[in-house]
Order: sequence, then C-alpha cells, then structure tokens
Amino acid sequence: MTPCPRADSLYLYLEGELGPYDARKIEEHVECCAACREALEERRLLHQAFTSLPPFEVPKGFARSVMDSLPEPEARGRGWLAPLVAAAAGLAAGLAGFHLFTGTGISEVLVALNGFFGQAVAQAAPLAVKTFKLGGVLLKISRDLLTLGLEGLEAFSRVLGPQGIALVAGLTALLAVLAFFGARRFLHQGEGS
Amino acid sequence: MTEDRQLVSRALRGDRRAYEMIVRKYEQPLTSYLSRMTGERETALDFAQEVFLKAYCSLASYRPAYKFSTWLFKIASNHVIDHWRKKKLPTVSIDQPLDEEDGPLTLQIPDQGPSVVRKLELAEIRERIERALEAVPETLRELFVLRHVNEFSYEEIADIKGLPVGTVKNRVFQAKELLRKRMEAA
Repeated sequence: MTPCPRADSLYLYLEGELGPYDARKIEEHVECCAACREALEERRLLHQAFTSLPPFEVPKGFARSVMDSLPEPEARGRGWLAPLVAAAAGLAAGLAGFHLFTGTGISEVLVALNGFFGQAVAQAAPLAVKTFKLGGVLLKISRDLLTLGLEGLEAFSRVLGPQGIALVAGLTALLAVLAFFGARRFLHQGEGS
Repeated sequence: MTEDRQLVSRALRGDRRAYEMIVRKYEQPLTSYLSRMTGERETALDFAQEVFLKAYCSLASYRPAYKFSTWLFKIASNHVIDHWRKKKLPTVSIDQPLDEEDGPLTLQIPDQGPSVVRKLELAEIRERIERALEAVPETLRELFVLRHVNEFSYEEIADIKGLPVGTVKNRVFQAKELLRKRMEAA
C-alpha cells in the first residue's frame, strides 16, 4: 500500500487540481485505508461547504449610489466655453480696474473702446477689400494663361497628327539624353582642368 | 472577459452606462469578498463604493491583456491592506510559520474515527465556517475567500496578490485546516 497522502493533497484532489496519476494514487490508497477514507469524506463535506458559502446580499440601488459618487466626465464639445468665459471675465476685470484707477465712468470707457475699435475696423476694412480684389485678379490671370497654354498645345498636336507627336516626343527624348551626357562630359572636363 | 474589455473601452470614451454595467456585474462578488475581509456589512459596502471609484479613476491604466476581475480585486485587496494598516491590525507574514494555540498545523492525517464535522448538516457547517472565518488571520482568510467565495483560480490569486502559485496553494490549505480545527474545537 502507498503511504498516506498529505492533507493538502486531499483538498487539491477534491478541487480537481491534481494530475490524473496523483489522483489515481489517492483513489487507490483510500480504498484500503479507512483513516484516509474518513479524512477524505470529512474534507469532501468541508469542501462542499466552502464552495457554497452564501453570497453577500447587495442592497437595491447600490450600483446607482456608486454611479452618483463618480466624478462627472469632462464634457466634450464645450472646450470653447472656458476660454470665452475667461476672456469675458478678464475684460470685465480690466474695465473695473481702469474705472477704479482713473475714476473714468465705465460708460465712458465703453464709448472710448467702441470708438477705438470702430476706427481700427474703418482703417483695416478697405485694406482687406483691396487685398482680396488683387488676389482675385491674380488668380484670374493665372487661370487664363493656363487655359491658353493648354489650348495651344491641343491645336499644335492636332496639326502634327499622331505620327508627328511621336516624332516630336522621340526628338525631345533624344535631345534630353544628349543634353544629359553633354552636361556630364562638360562637368568632367571642368573637374580635370 | 471580452465583454469586460468592451465595457471598459466604452467607459473610457465617457459612456457611464457601460461602467454601471461593470458595477452591476461585480457588486456582489466584490462585496462578498469585502464583507468577509472586514466582518462588517456597512464597512463592506463603503469599501466596495470606494473600490469602484478608485477603479473608475484609474481605468485608463487597465491593460486589456489582463482579466478585468483580477485587476479590480487587486485594487480591492490593496484597499483592504491599507485598512488593516490604518487600524494597525496584526497581520501574519507570508513567510512566518503558523503556530496556533491549538498546536502547529500538521500536514499528515491523524484522524481517528468520525469527526465533529461529519455529524453536522451542511447548512450548520456553513454557519460555523462563517463564524470561524473571522478568527482566521487576515492574510490566510483573504486567500481562502478569493479561492472559495470568489472562485478565482490559484493562478489568478497569485496574480492578484503577487505571490508564487505554490505559496497561494499552501496558504489556502492552511486556512482550510485552521477552519477545520476551530470548528472541531467549537
């Protein structure tokens, strides 16, 4: 008969944590050892109780109270609001400070500010209009030039026909090759001298 | 598990309903664990709320390569340890051999004849276990609860507690034998 198994092996056996070889050894042993059979039955009962302990009864509304305790996520799409509020608050503080230090009435400050911004807009607006107009004219000229070039190219290709186009393309390629090698030779001569 | 990952992903995008589903899924296992660790119903509920809050605030640090339940219980375990430290409860070192008042735990089987346990009904055994559990040292009790109440595998418990699997198995066994001895003595 094999020696009596350790108590921890009995628990692992009951939990299905032992390999088939070790499990078989325990099964064979308890068949012939009354003390171990008794010990195994006791642990089996305990194991049954361990694995069926009652769960905690959670009060209704617990999840809701957890959710209420969570911080609010940062609202998306309201990113513009904070700078706007800060700017408004800064402006108000500036006006109040100006009023306190100079004694000028807030309405006067507002009138002055209005005049200043009105003057700035009056000066900047014609300049912006002129720049815009100039940009439009330049755009029109470049567009006309491009159209003219494309039309000329189309007329030229019509006059030449397919054979003529092929001839011109071949000559251009030849000229490009000659120009490339000529340039290289010229450069090498330059290096040699 | 995949469902948890999807819920976490949705919660990270600001979907509070997804996090509420996580809370509803884990409220019972978490409070079952915490009630056995604190021994008080109200404290367990407070702790569960705090653990869910901590988890929510650090959701971005959750790595989907791991199980969400393991991650959540790791937070809960650390929370309980902090509580013990604050209360200065005596804790048992993981390397310290356990010598109980009723003698050192023996690993061999000395049983002679039917035990007290075998004479009890299952419901009575459960009641006795619950009572005896309160007297089991916290470090052993925690591993026992994670294994048998929360039904984590030994490997998952090892991950939660950062311990070798062999140590976890040994400690769970010690907890069970302590419970058995206390029940016999009661």
